[in-house]
Amino acid sequence: MTQTTEATREVRILGIDAGGTMTDTIMIDDAGGFVIGKAQTTPENESVGFEHSARDALHYWGLDPEAGFPQMVSGIFSGTSMLNRLLERKGQRVGLLVTQGMEDYLRLERGVQTHLGFSYADSLHVVTHRHHEPLVPLSRIRGVGGRIDARGDEAIPLYEQHAEDGVRDLLAEEVDCICVNLLFSYINPDHENRVEEIARRVMREEGAEVPIFISSALYPKRLDFPRLNTLLIEAYAAEPGRRQLQLLRDVTKRLGAPFELRVMAGFGGTISVGAKQLVNTLVSGPIGGVVGARHLARLTDVPNVVCSDIGGTSFDVALVTNGEYEITSTPDIAHFKMNFPMVKIDSIGAGTGSFVRVNPVSQRIEFGPDGAGAKIGMSNPAEDLAAVTITDCNVVLGVISPDYFLGGEVPLDRDRAVAAVREQIAEPLGLGVETAASGVIELFEDELKRQVRALVMGKGFEPADYVLMGYGGGGPLHVAGYTDGLHFRDVLVPSWAAGFSAFGCACADFAYRFDRQVDLEVPPDADEAAKREIAASITAAWRALGERVVAEFAKSGVDAGDVGFQPYLRVQYLGQVNDIEVPSPLAELHTAADLDAVIAAFERDYGKVYAQAARSPELGYLITLAIVVGATPAEKPVLPEEDLGPAEPPASAEKERREIFWHGAWRPARIFEMDHLAAGNVVEGPAVIEAPSTTLVVPPGRAAALDRHRIFHLEAQGGTR
Amino acid sequence: MTPEARAFPERAPIGWDGMTLKQMLDHSDQVFAETGRYHGLDGLELKKNDPIRYERMYSRMRGGVVTARENAAKIAASPLVEEMGEVCFTLYTPEGDSIALSTGIIVHVHTMSDAIKHIVRNDYEVNPGIEDGDIFVNNDPQISNVHNADVQTMVPVFWEGELVAWAAGVTHEVDVGARTPGSSSVGPISRLEDGIDIPAMKCGSNDTLFRDYVDRCRRAVRTPLYWSLDEKTRIAGCHMLRDVVLELIESEGIETYKRFIREVIEEGRQSFLERMREQLVPGVYRAPVFIDYQLAAEPSLPRHAARDGVLHSPMEVTIRPSGKLEISLDGANSWGFHSFNCTPTALQGAMWAVLAETVMSSDKVNDGAYFASSLYLPFGSWTNPGHPMTSHSDSWYILVPAFAALPRALSRGYHARGYVEEVIAGWGDGNYLQGGSPDPFGDQAAISNMETSCVGAGAGIIQDGLDYASSSWFPTGDMGDVEDWERMEPLLYVARRVKPQTCGFGRRRGGMGFESLRMVWVDEYELQNIGDGTMFAQSGLFGGYPAASGYRHNIRNTNLPQLFAERRPYPTGEPDTADSELSQLVDGEPTRDLRGTTMIEAYSRYDLYLSMIRGGPGLGDPLERQLEDVQRDLDEGLILRRFAEAVYAVSLREGDDRLEVDAGESEAARDRARRSRAERAVPVSEWIEAERRDRILPQRLVGPVREMYRSSMELSPRWARHFRSFWGLEDDFEFTEDER
Repeated sequence: MTQTTEATREVRILGIDAGGTMTDTIMIDDAGGFVIGKAQTTPENESVGFEHSARDALHYWGLDPEAGFPQMVSGIFSGTSMLNRLLERKGQRVGLLVTQGMEDYLRLERGVQTHLGFSYADSLHVVTHRHHEPLVPLSRIRGVGGRIDARGDEAIPLYEQHAEDGVRDLLAEEVDCICVNLLFSYINPDHENRVEEIARRVMREEGAEVPIFISSALYPKRLDFPRLNTLLIEAYAAEPGRRQLQLLRDVTKRLGAPFELRVMAGFGGTISVGAKQLVNTLVSGPIGGVVGARHLARLTDVPNVVCSDIGGTSFDVALVTNGEYEITSTPDIAHFKMNFPMVKIDSIGAGTGSFVRVNPVSQRIEFGPDGAGAKIGMSNPAEDLAAVTITDCNVVLGVISPDYFLGGEVPLDRDRAVAAVREQIAEPLGLGVETAASGVIELFEDELKRQVRALVMGKGFEPADYVLMGYGGGGPLHVAGYTDGLHFRDVLVPSWAAGFSAFGCACADFAYRFDRQVDLEVPPDADEAAKREIAASITAAWRALGERVVAEFAKSGVDAGDVGFQPYLRVQYLGQVNDIEVPSPLAELHTAADLDAVIAAFERDYGKVYAQAARSPELGYLITLAIVVGATPAEKPVLPEEDLGPAEPPASAEKERREIFWHGAWRPARIFEMDHLAAGNVVEGPAVIEAPSTTLVVPPGRAAALDRHRIFHLEAQGGTR
Repeated sequence: MTPEARAFPERAPIGWDGMTLKQMLDHSDQVFAETGRYHGLDGLELKKNDPIRYERMYSRMRGGVVTARENAAKIAASPLVEEMGEVCFTLYTPEGDSIALSTGIIVHVHTMSDAIKHIVRNDYEVNPGIEDGDIFVNNDPQISNVHNADVQTMVPVFWEGELVAWAAGVTHEVDVGARTPGSSSVGPISRLEDGIDIPAMKCGSNDTLFRDYVDRCRRAVRTPLYWSLDEKTRIAGCHMLRDVVLELIESEGIETYKRFIREVIEEGRQSFLERMREQLVPGVYRAPVFIDYQLAAEPSLPRHAARDGVLHSPMEVTIRPSGKLEISLDGANSWGFHSFNCTPTALQGAMWAVLAETVMSSDKVNDGAYFASSLYLPFGSWTNPGHPMTSHSDSWYILVPAFAALPRALSRGYHARGYVEEVIAGWGDGNYLQGGSPDPFGDQAAISNMETSCVGAGAGIIQDGLDYASSSWFPTGDMGDVEDWERMEPLLYVARRVKPQTCGFGRRRGGMGFESLRMVWVDEYELQNIGDGTMFAQSGLFGGYPAASGYRHNIRNTNLPQLFAERRPYPTGEPDTADSELSQLVDGEPTRDLRGTTMIEAYSRYDLYLSMIRGGPGLGDPLERQLEDVQRDLDEGLILRRFAEAVYAVSLREGDDRLEVDAGESEAARDRARRSRAERAVPVSEWIEAERRDRILPQRLVGPVREMYRSSMELSPRWARHFRSFWGLEDDFEFTEDER
């Protein structure tokens, strides 16, 4: 995919994905050509690993970083170091001020956090539930007397002395920063603001200035516990990552990059390293995939996409409907309930590294919930695993070549895989070893299929309205299986599926998104005057949020005039709990008719999101959140364009013929090298298309057609999908 | 032709192979009685011949049910259902046996089963008719429910004229219009006060509710909006379940489906037996529970209901060598004029929920377990009143503690078999904060705070009990956010804190409870406390202590406004009841006693209400608790100094900023404690003799306890013999009746 000649190539875009062990960089040129570099992640200073990785990538094009970087116009970072800091509990020494009486927040948590993300069986099984180790010990939490009530009125006046004493105590505890989260501050921030003033004064007096994080300033949204989690994780895990990001930015500058490095954020935009809130960059890799899928969809005029990503440990699915992904305002991250906006991704803990076992009592095949992590399976003699993985089953079935895993870098031993599957799965079930392995894969793909179906049909949509995209290292292996019989309009597998998340990050706009709770009731019998008042409140909220957007862009030298604003509202029926996000058709609301226009948009979208449910306009409406997204376009990757050649793949692309086990029998399959296939080629199943980073399976009865953009279309043989 | 026959003309039977549903149910019962196997299945052919296909079918069905629960609750549901997850969906066979269920309030898997069986047995097929698109609703405890607040919707699923399944869903309502507001009203003394009653009625057809039904419900409850939202949720979920069944039949064929649902239940039965054999040792295990109620002082009750009493749950669990589980409550005392009576369905459901969380927590959970177990409930007792007028409004009051004891019984078996990680000494229960506005025209006239789903769990062998995060009736409990509750409840959280001393002590301590101190934030409101008081409901295990029983400390006419104005300290709870922060900081009219349960009482703005969420029972001798564990309990403020010294026999010294356990001195203190125990010890036979002489024979028992034993002995001659033989009494010994 390097049809641009060396002389004319311009390197345009840099994507960095710094994982726990490896840092991947993707460089994309002006013709959509790309190279991928890899290097060991250097956790103490990620910029070192990044520089190595970038050098590795550019060397494929015969370039030094010093020559490549000055050509680039855009660079996006996504990483897991903040998440790891949280998971490993290696964050900042935080001090916390909360409403008096609520000092036990982190000990009590919410019951749900003791089993968040557990399997069905474990969620029923209380002896498996666990509390989190608190991010802040009780000794660094102080209460401040005072209460704001649910209407925003002061019920108990602020006990200022508590705030003053608390701050002094925390400073004496040598905290790195102080977080403040008081009840109902999202409606009325007066108490929090006053605590901040007191804290700043005390710090001046003590000569010990530390950063302060105020919940109403950062996350003015209802639900005190998720708000506290978000605030704490910002201070504990995200803010310390800023230094790392600055170091990365410095390296790009030193190498001559003219762009400002940006970071992928959970809401689907990219933000500056200097952004006030970094907690929403905690999870970015999976978001990249969805953003990339939306970008591909827009370029190829596809409105609706099911995004599906299989990695070693999880299967992530998301929907892009009418060119937009859904945003959740209460995501779960690392078993924490959070309250910042994130692209809605459903995730199950089943990936190619999941362990497969037969329950000795019920004789049932069970997946996970644990897995091999960064390891591969029992087929890898270099590892000391004791349980079979999904990958092992694929090795048994001949689908994965033991000699070409990661391009042959990791030699696998099929005999070991066969012996393990025989002993652990086949014999307990009284099945042949291949039948057992293929049964495991079918059950696994059924589970993935169920997730995909639930996502699409649970919302009342039909697969026929959607194109499904499969990516991630394991996507191409299983996409045929989990789409079988679902009748999607098309099933797409980009040839760069394994690097799709990094690619996707590079597809995101430079954007900021802010929201705040407004909780405005629109009763069914609201009159014109009431509606005008509500409209004015919304507009005021949008303006204030817009100012925050402008202030953030100003830090990167972007003028307000270059920012496009889109206001949104989250709306629900009065009395219900689930709100949905509605883009406002108007920039501001002033009249009753303006408000009605937004309500009409809500009614329309509600019908789309929950098609099976009756709408309930008789209840009236509650407008929960006001949201503003400000974006300025960034250069995005172009897709490769190749001329369409003949359907028959060139002889040079076919590496060998090999038997693969499929639905009860061994069948001869053609094995192709992905990079050697040309646009227009159609590979008929049974076949396997191999690349160093992934394996695309084309089962009997299906065919994979490579299009001009080097995207495979998995179709039924004969052309219909 | 009878009028009924004219109204409901004869139609082709909707059962399988030309049978009516009733014939199918009779046949199923008969075959099971004859063979001991579900539908007499000889083997699991589908599973044996094609285990992968079989598991794929099950996974599709169970997955569909779980997904339906998630999606339906999002579509439309009250906060209780959506946020707290008080909803459950299940698929049933035509006869009403459960095949697969979602997570949620799984106690109802069996209650809905009985509702369907009621519909089938009473030949609804003829009158009012069962057709595709019909909607049936039940909330009647005497037919098949725990209490009226759990509302069940059942939808028949048809395939080519045959009823092939029932899709059913249940939600827990915040209010059903009982005598006093809230979902588990304490106060009703007959079913007429339990709130709206829908006795397994057909309430809709063509997937649409009847208008008269909708109207009737809206007029009968205090929170009609939530009622109708949850009704939408149940119906939407049932329809999703119907799709799951129809798609499964489409892809696998009707005959395979029919065989499949039989096999899945038979497999559930077999695997239950196998699990019991694998994990438990055959034998008889006892786990009695007592819970008191003190309503004698309630002025609004009639004389026959205004009494103090104790409910007796003498649970006896027998594990047969085959793995069959038999639970008997023989010896339970009489039903009463209170809100705590239970129906057999409720007990069956509670047993079920606990089993689903313990022995059968793998995911093939269905009515197979029902067919591998039995439950004996003595007629006339609170477990099986057999009287059509009894109230069941707060069945949970005894149901929860009675069945939280089942894990205590099973744990002895786990321990004997070496499954030490499964051991759990039970759960705490309460306080249930419940109430409402005396103003029936207000917006929000009933509250049921569900933070009580996060009590302390019992201790295990290898770990302390899980702190404040689950309950026996709701393993996935959640206490919710303060900012959520306060939008529904006009009561400010002045505090929500871990409460010291709530757990049962032991080598492993029980999970901790917590306390919420609420300040009434409206001019008039009514609230009640519900939970144990003078007696603890759960004993510990293997020498562990019971968890602390509850109490009441509410203060009216407080001087809080003055405290606030002067920025004087205000309380955040009551960590030490003997040195009460609450009493010291606030002036007012306190109500402080061991009445854990009362009827509804009036409160005004600035009144304080303390809700103590109970801890879990402990396990093992406290003298064996590791010193570092005691140190951690002290550091975290989970135990008060004097109790650490008295119970754990540790020696403490003042450290720089904490109390420190002195290892050497503590060992000596423990030796002294052991010696002192030995000195005080007497042979059991002597102790029994002394008790018999000084307490039993002269009948020197407090009134409610004496009355409880009298009633137990009267209802069960077998249990009376057991009691007499234990205490060495004459065959004609009986307790005399309470004089009142």
